[in-house]
Amino acid sequence: MADTESDLLRSSLDLLILKALSWGPMHGYGISEWIEGATQSVLLLEEGTLYPALHRLERRGWIAAEWGVSDNNRRAKFYKLSAGGRAQFRAQAPVWHKHATAIAVALRRTSADVA
Amino acid sequence: MSLGPGWRRAFRLPFSRPRTIEREVDDELAFHLAMREEKLRRQGMTPELARAEAASRFGDPAAVRDQCVTIDQQYAREVRIMEWIESVWSDARYAFRTMRRAPVFTAVTVVTLALGIGATSAMFSLVDGILLRPLPYAQPERLVWFKQSFPEKGLDDWTLSQENAAMYRDRATEFSSFAAFARRGITLGGERPEQLVGELTTGQFFKVLGVSPLLGRAYTDEEDAPRKNNVAVLSYGLWQTHFGSDQRILGKTIDVNGAPVTVIGVMPAAFSFPRADVQLWMPLGLDPNRKFGWFLTGVARLKPGTTVERAHQQTTAIFREWARQAPGLLPPSTAPEHTGLTTLVSPLRERLTRDVERPLLILQAAVLLILLIAVANVATIQSSRAASRSREIALRNVLGATRGRVARQLLTESVALALIGAVIGTSIATLGVRAFTHSDALSLPRLDEVGVDARVLAFTLGVAVVAGVLFGLAPVVYTMRDRLTGDLAAGQRETSHRATRRLNGTLIVAQITLSVTLLISAGLVLKSFRRLLQTDLGFEPRGATALALPLPQRKYMNSTSAMPFMDATLAELRSIPDIRSAALASTVPYSGDVNSDGYLIEGHAPPSETGTETQVVTTSVTPGYFRTMGIRLDRGRDFTEADRDNTLPVTIVDEALARRYWPDGNGVGKRMRLTGDTTWLTIVGVAASVRDEDAATEARPHMYAPMTQAATSHPLLVLRTAGDPGPALSAVRRVIHRLEPGVPLDNARPLTDYLGRALATRRMTEILLGAFAVLAVTLAAVGIYGVMSLYVANRTREFGIRMAVGAEPLAVMRLVMWEGTALAIAGIVVGVGGAMFATRWLGSLLYDVSARDPLVFVSLPLALLAIAAASCYLPARRAAKSDPLVAIRAD
Repeated sequence: MADTESDLLRSSLDLLILKALSWGPMHGYGISEWIEGATQSVLLLEEGTLYPALHRLERRGWIAAEWGVSDNNRRAKFYKLSAGGRAQFRAQAPVWHKHATAIAVALRRTSADVA
Repeated sequence: MSLGPGWRRAFRLPFSRPRTIEREVDDELAFHLAMREEKLRRQGMTPELARAEAASRFGDPAAVRDQCVTIDQQYAREVRIMEWIESVWSDARYAFRTMRRAPVFTAVTVVTLALGIGATSAMFSLVDGILLRPLPYAQPERLVWFKQSFPEKGLDDWTLSQENAAMYRDRATEFSSFAAFARRGITLGGERPEQLVGELTTGQFFKVLGVSPLLGRAYTDEEDAPRKNNVAVLSYGLWQTHFGSDQRILGKTIDVNGAPVTVIGVMPAAFSFPRADVQLWMPLGLDPNRKFGWFLTGVARLKPGTTVERAHQQTTAIFREWARQAPGLLPPSTAPEHTGLTTLVSPLRERLTRDVERPLLILQAAVLLILLIAVANVATIQSSRAASRSREIALRNVLGATRGRVARQLLTESVALALIGAVIGTSIATLGVRAFTHSDALSLPRLDEVGVDARVLAFTLGVAVVAGVLFGLAPVVYTMRDRLTGDLAAGQRETSHRATRRLNGTLIVAQITLSVTLLISAGLVLKSFRRLLQTDLGFEPRGATALALPLPQRKYMNSTSAMPFMDATLAELRSIPDIRSAALASTVPYSGDVNSDGYLIEGHAPPSETGTETQVVTTSVTPGYFRTMGIRLDRGRDFTEADRDNTLPVTIVDEALARRYWPDGNGVGKRMRLTGDTTWLTIVGVAASVRDEDAATEARPHMYAPMTQAATSHPLLVLRTAGDPGPALSAVRRVIHRLEPGVPLDNARPLTDYLGRALATRRMTEILLGAFAVLAVTLAAVGIYGVMSLYVANRTREFGIRMAVGAEPLAVMRLVMWEGTALAIAGIVVGVGGAMFATRWLGSLLYDVSARDPLVFVSLPLALLAIAAASCYLPARRAAKSDPLVAIRAD
């Protein structure tokens, strides 16, 4: 069960990261802020889990990293969406919508009958 | 992977050291915590609380750090591999672009390499198939070849009698199985009787070799007994050609030598022991009581865990015990232990390939020399290219390519060239090897196992890569040197030219050295072969044809009962106009069928008292044999029709025998007899000696007996015809068919053919070595030409100036000629020295020629010098035509 849950969370987290970066390059902290704000802190229970996800996406080539300087003049690692990542996001977002809608509908059902 | 170059470079540095990966992760996580803490503080938390809150919202930093580090390390590894592949690929693309820009250079390089690599892999496929690969039998390392030896009797290599074969089969426990075999011509009866190559073997023959029939079964020891041996196993080839691959062949009866024989098995296509041409195997019908008639060769499988040496000791003990009891073999006072009586047990592979091992290894060595010459040749071309490419390389250096990177680029290029050469070379090799294995003129053992296969391809690939790296090193060395002096002013160019020239000079000397060694070796072998062909064999094979005349055994029990038929045949044949003479004989030279025996000369001490005995080769012939064979009769007379089985027993001996006993060689009127016979034979003539087994060894003693007095079961008809034997042969076939329809008539062979087969290995060595030497010299000449052309091109300016200040064109020409010829002389001197050692290795390939034959050692190097000088001529003439103005403008 734990595996299924973490898989579900992981893939949704990946999708959210790609969404966050679709606005432009961001550092990890910025991404976490955006996700927390956008999901009312439901998804990112522990901020640390964001980082392995970022590094994994980077390894897959969907995002790229570069060291830069943050707004408050600190050295920070910025991520940006690669062409592959953008394509991945465009492909995955509708699937997620469809699944989420289907699950939501299913969970609202009140009868055991197969309609 | 589609990252921009800037992004890629950002990773490069950190990923080169694993430590930095960890530091980067730490920095990234620390940045996050610091930012969170700061935000919480701004929201009004105390610093301590803010830090604690930030940490708790983050989770387990150590676990996160480990995960990130692991992912990044894997990523770094992948990036490194990808980058490596990409750079090799880009090097290769670059190499191909370079090749396209210089098509002539590329073509010359590729062709040179294709020749070198092709020859090497073709030769290797022979060496591998014949010498290296295990025999195609189960556990072939345990198979041994078996014979006996009795040196005191002149029987160094003594075949086995049936009694001998039975005693080893039954008592040699170091062998898990033992068999003996002998070649036997077989007449396959039918509408058109046919002569087949058969092998009579004892019962465990197939068990020893560990090969099962494709169809049916092999015969058993029970079937290998007198009068029970009426079964046969067919070769795959015979089954296909004569029985249409009939699946129901088993149990069918065929007519073998006039008797019904049941087919019980068919062997797989790959099986052909002891030689490739065997068509049929039959049980010998071993009779342990047959004490005489030594005609069998043994083959055995060693028991697991034993050694050749142990088997040799045991069988020698058995052999000596037998010798003690064998009547008349040893003088009563002599114990077998005090004689040289021994068995000969040798690993089968070694024995089968004994005669070709040295020629093959020599040819392989020759081919490797050619490959080295080709590599040296290409290396000179490459280094001259590197010289002219030095600007390009300098540019790449300026653009940030490291020295190693440029070196790798050049090596990639040379390996790519070598691989292209290998592809073409392998095609050449495949064609060459196919032509070779399909050639009739060759009688190499295991030739049917030779081919260009995966092993040969792997070898070729290895050779190509090594060759590519070798000749690729020349420009690399050059580039390195260039880098050391690089970035300096234009005056330095002269220095780098000089460096190239030194390198090229060395390579030229090396090529000439190798060529001379090869040329001299080939020259000696060629001269030996010519000498061998000119050797007086004692008979004249040209114009003579032999035809086996296997008479139906039921009708003619021996040659006495066959005599009327033979007389009639000969009488009719002599009336055919194209036939100059005709005779019958029990064997002909080089047919491999030799009968020999011990003998006594009347009035001379028996050999048992003189210590050593020699064997005399015995042949039964009809009158006219000597004339037909072209054997000179020096003294006395030929046999005549008047020598019949009831007249005085007579014999003709040869000079080799006569000279032993009578200093003037005149033995006419003296008497001799064979040790196994009590009849004294009167010598009526002395014939010239015949070298009938190996043209390169002295003739052994021979004696001839009239066929009327010495019966033979397998006579050969020998004809001497004027011109083409074809028409005469058809006439002969008509005559014989009319007189006796049961005789197969399909096996007429010119005597030159027998001789050709005996000389095949020598001929192959001679032809290939000669071809290799020509190839080597051609490559070396091209090499000299190339280097001298380059040398002249680089010094055009100097020559122009020389001529501008008054040097004669002839003087400039002489200068260039001298520079080139000096290199050749250096190479020749070293090469002649090398040949002094190398040619000793030729050993038995030399015949009647010294390993340091002065004529060969002087004339061939001189010829090579002339070729080298000729190769310098064109560049020298170009130098003499240097135009001062063009030269000065050139820079």
